[in-house]
Amino acid sequence: MAIRVNPLLIDDLERYGAEDVQKCYHCGNCSAVCPHTDETFVFPRRSMRLLQMGLERKIEGSLEPWLCYYCGQCSTQCPRDAEPGETMMSLRRWLTSRYDFTGISRLFYRSPKAEVLAMVALGLVVGVGLVAWGLGNGGDIRVYDGERAFLKSHHVHVFDWGMAAVLVGLLGTNAARMWWFIMYRDKESRVPWWLYVKHVLLLPYHFFTQKRYAECGERKPWLLHLALMLSYVTMLVLIMFFLGHMQSDTWHWQAHLPGYLATLGLLGATAWMMRGRLKKITPLHRHSHESDWVFLVQLFVVAFTGILQHVLHRTGQPLAGNVVYVVHMMAAVPMLVLEVPFSKWAHLVYRPLAMYFAAMRREVLRAKVPAPLPAGARRVQAA
Amino acid sequence: MQPCKIGVYVCQCGTNIAKVVDCEDVVAFAATLPHVVLSKTYKYMCSNPGQDMIVQDIQSHGLDRVVVAACSPRMHERTFRNALQVAGLNPYFFEMANIREHCSWVHEDHVAATEKAKALVRGAVFRVARHEALERKTVDMCPEVLVLGGGVSGLTAALDIAEAGYRVRLVERQGALGGNLARIDLTAPYLNAARDLLTERITRVTENERIDVLLHSRLVNLEGFIGNYRATVETRDADNPPRKTEFLVGNVIVATGYQEFDAGRITHYGYGKLPNVVTSFEFEQMLRQGRVQMDDGRLPRFVSIVHCVGSRSQEFHGYCSRVCCMTALKYAHEVRSAIPGCRVSDIYIDMHAFGKGHEDFYRRSSEVKTLFLMYRKGDRPVIRKAQPSDGCDMLIEVNEQLSGETIEIPSDLVVLMVGMEARSDAHEVARLVNISQDKEGWFIESHPKLDPVATTTDGIYIAGTCAAPKDIPDTVAQARASAARILAKVARGKIEVDAVYAEVDEARCSGCRICNDLCPYSAIEFDLEKKVSRVISAVCKACGACGSACPSGAIKARHFTDAQIFAQIEGVLR
Repeated sequence: MAIRVNPLLIDDLERYGAEDVQKCYHCGNCSAVCPHTDETFVFPRRSMRLLQMGLERKIEGSLEPWLCYYCGQCSTQCPRDAEPGETMMSLRRWLTSRYDFTGISRLFYRSPKAEVLAMVALGLVVGVGLVAWGLGNGGDIRVYDGERAFLKSHHVHVFDWGMAAVLVGLLGTNAARMWWFIMYRDKESRVPWWLYVKHVLLLPYHFFTQKRYAECGERKPWLLHLALMLSYVTMLVLIMFFLGHMQSDTWHWQAHLPGYLATLGLLGATAWMMRGRLKKITPLHRHSHESDWVFLVQLFVVAFTGILQHVLHRTGQPLAGNVVYVVHMMAAVPMLVLEVPFSKWAHLVYRPLAMYFAAMRREVLRAKVPAPLPAGARRVQAA
Repeated sequence: MQPCKIGVYVCQCGTNIAKVVDCEDVVAFAATLPHVVLSKTYKYMCSNPGQDMIVQDIQSHGLDRVVVAACSPRMHERTFRNALQVAGLNPYFFEMANIREHCSWVHEDHVAATEKAKALVRGAVFRVARHEALERKTVDMCPEVLVLGGGVSGLTAALDIAEAGYRVRLVERQGALGGNLARIDLTAPYLNAARDLLTERITRVTENERIDVLLHSRLVNLEGFIGNYRATVETRDADNPPRKTEFLVGNVIVATGYQEFDAGRITHYGYGKLPNVVTSFEFEQMLRQGRVQMDDGRLPRFVSIVHCVGSRSQEFHGYCSRVCCMTALKYAHEVRSAIPGCRVSDIYIDMHAFGKGHEDFYRRSSEVKTLFLMYRKGDRPVIRKAQPSDGCDMLIEVNEQLSGETIEIPSDLVVLMVGMEARSDAHEVARLVNISQDKEGWFIESHPKLDPVATTTDGIYIAGTCAAPKDIPDTVAQARASAARILAKVARGKIEVDAVYAEVDEARCSGCRICNDLCPYSAIEFDLEKKVSRVISAVCKACGACGSACPSGAIKARHFTDAQIFAQIEGVLR
C-alpha cells in the first residue's frame, strides 16, 4: 500500500524551527559523521527524507529524533547547508506537540505569543489567588513564618502536590501516546512483553546519567546539562518532601545545603546556556526557537526569585520576602503546569522513554538479521 | 619491376614492441630480403630523431623505398610519408608493417611473435618494391555554403559564414525560422527568455544580404564532392506550385535538429487519456502564454514533473537527452513564481547537472521547496486518477529510492519530460548528403572526440541536435565549429585530394553499373553517353569495394593494385 506524500508538512515544521530541509540531496554525510547513528537507527538523513516527503505517520512512529543530542556535526558537515541538526531539533518539538492530545503544545510551539500570554494569565490568576488565599486564612503579609504567616508551608505543600498530580496526569498521558505511536500503532513495531521487563532499568539509568549525551563527542555540554537536570530534580524533591524544613526559621542543613547547591546549579547552568545562545557558540546555539528562550528565562526567574525570597526572609525582611514568594509562585506554577507537560520540558520523560524503546527495537531487529559470517565465508542460497 | 633500394626500420615503441618481438632479429632478417640495402631498429621511430634518421639515410644511401615496422598506419603513416617528402622522395614509396597492434600487443609467445613480425616485414618489403609514384590533385573550392535547418544551430552557422564574407543558403522546412528553440519559454539555468536569444539571431540573418533564407523548403538532391556540390532545393509555399532551385555550394552544414519523443507510447503515464497530463513542450506553451492551469481553468496546487520520458530506458531510448533535467528545474522556478502556493515534485532517476551553472541551479531549485523523488531506471511511476476524497486530481505511485518507501504523490498537473529523438525523416537527409546514422538515428561524426562536427563525407558537417541531444551552448559551439572548419577550408581556395583512389579503365568497362550502387560514398557516376562508369576521385575513399566487385577487372585502385597486394600476400606467406 502506497503511503501518501504530503509536500505541505514541511511548511508546518518551519513553525517549529525547521529550515532549509528541502536543500538536502541525500549524500548521507550527516549519517556518516553522527556519533549516535547505528545499524538499527540511521539518522539524520532518513528523518530528513521522511520530513521532505511529509510522511507524518512514519515520523510519529520514529524514535530517531529522540536519539539525537544535537552535537551539530551533521550541520557542520552538510554540503548543502540543509541543517540536519536543527531539523532533528524541530522534529522533537513537532513530536512533543503530536504526543500531546490537548493541542496546547501545538499552539505554544506555533505561536510563542499565545504561550507567553497563557503564562502571564495563569501567573496573574496564581498571584491574585495566593494573595486572596493568604489574607483570607488570617495571614499577615508582614509575617513570613509561624501561625500568622502569609503563605503557610503546609498550605503551599498541599497546593504543590495537587499541581504535581495534574502534571503527572498530563505527562503520563502524553508518554502513553508516545508509546502508542512508536511501539504499538503499527503491528510490525510491536515487541514481546518480556522485553519491557528486561530493559526497564534503562529508564532510571538514562534519566539520571544522560550517558548518551556524553557520547556526543564533547563532554562539556553533557556536564552542563546533567548539572541543570540534577539541580532541578534535587530542588523538586526538596520542595515536594521537605518544604517545611526549607521554609522554616531554623536551619536544616540536610535540606538547606543541597538546596543551595541546586540553586547554584540552576542559576549557573541557565545563565551559561543563555550566554551560549546569545553568542551562538555551537551549532546547537545558532538556532534558537522562541520556546528555547522561554524555557531558560523562566527557569532562571523561578530559581532567582526562589533564592531571593529565602534571602529576604533570612535577612529579616518578611514583607519583601512574601512579595517575592508570590512572584516566585507566579512564575513557578505556569512553568510546572504549562511548560513541563506541553513544551521543551517534556523531554525529561521522552528522552529516557526513547532510549528504553530503542533498546527493545534493537533487540527485535537484530534477532531478525542473520549473524555476520566469518571473513571469507559466503552464504549459500537455498535451492 | 625495376631495381630499387629499400630501407627497413623496426620501431621498438619504447618497450611496447620490444618486450615481445626480438627487434634485432627482425632487423637481421630484413637485411637478407631482396633489394633491402639497410635495416635498423630504434626506440621511437616516430620521434624527431627517428624521422631524421630516415631522411638522412635516404639522402646518404640513396634509398628509394622505405618500410617502417611499427604501429598502425592510422597512427603514423602520415608522419613517415611526410619524412619521405622532406627527403625529396615521393611519399607513396612508403609502406608500414603493423607489428604492434597486430603483433606485440596481441601475442605472448616471443618466438612466434618475432616470426610473425618478420613475415609482416617481408610482406611490406615485397609490396613496397611495387609501389608507384602518385601525385595528389587539387580541386577548386566553391566558397558558398548550404545550411540545412533554421534553428539556433543553423542560424548561428549561417551568421558566422556570412559575416566572414561568404554567401549562405539557409534552407528551412517550416514557414518560420527558430526551430525547436522557438517553442521554449525561458532557458536554464539563468532563466533568460529563449525568444530574446532567437529574435536577435533571426533579425541579423534576415537582414544579412549574403544569406538567402529559403522557407518552406527542403533539399531534394545533392551531387558532387567537397568544394563542388550541386544542390537542388524544392520550395512549397501554400499558394504557389512547388518550384526547384539549383545552385553550387562548396560545403554543407546539416543542422536539422531533433523531434520530441511521443509520450503516448508509454501507456502507464496516461498521456492522451488523463486530461492534465501534458508533455514538456505543451507545458512550455502554457508558460509562454502565461497561463499555467488545468484543462478546466483551475490553478493546479500540485505539479508533478516526471523525468526521462522515453530516455534512459530499455524499450525506448537508452541515451540521456541531456536537457530535460535542467528544463524540469526551470519549471519548478517558473511554477513557483506563477503560482506561489503551488508545490512541485520532481520525479527523477538521476539528476544530471553537468553543465556550467547547473549544480548551482539545482541547489537553488531545492531552495524553492521542490520535492525531489527518485525512482529506479526501469521501475516507472504509474499515474492514475484520484478519488474525490483525495483532494487532488491524480496520484502518482512510485517506489521512492531515497526513502525505500512506496509512495503516492498528489498531483493536479503532470508534466512529462519527453526526450529528444532523431527526426523521423533523418534517414532521407542522411541519404541525400551521404552521411551515416547510428542505431538511434543520430548522424555520425567523423570522430566522436577529436572531430565532432565533420562527417565521413568531405564537405558535409553536422551541428547541434541532429547529431545527438545537446543543450543550447553545445549546439551553438558546434554550429560555430562547423562554420570555422568551412571557413578555414574556403580560405585556402583550393583543396588537395588524396592520391589514393579508384580509377575506371573506360576501354574495359562494360557499363554494368554494379559499382555505382555498391559504392558507399556515392563516388561513382555513370556517363550515359559513353555508357561507362567514372569515379569522382575527390569523393572516393579508396575502400576498394568497386575494384573487387568489377566483373570486367576494369577498376584499378591506385596504391592497391593487384600486383601490390599479391606481392604482399606472397611476402607474408612465404
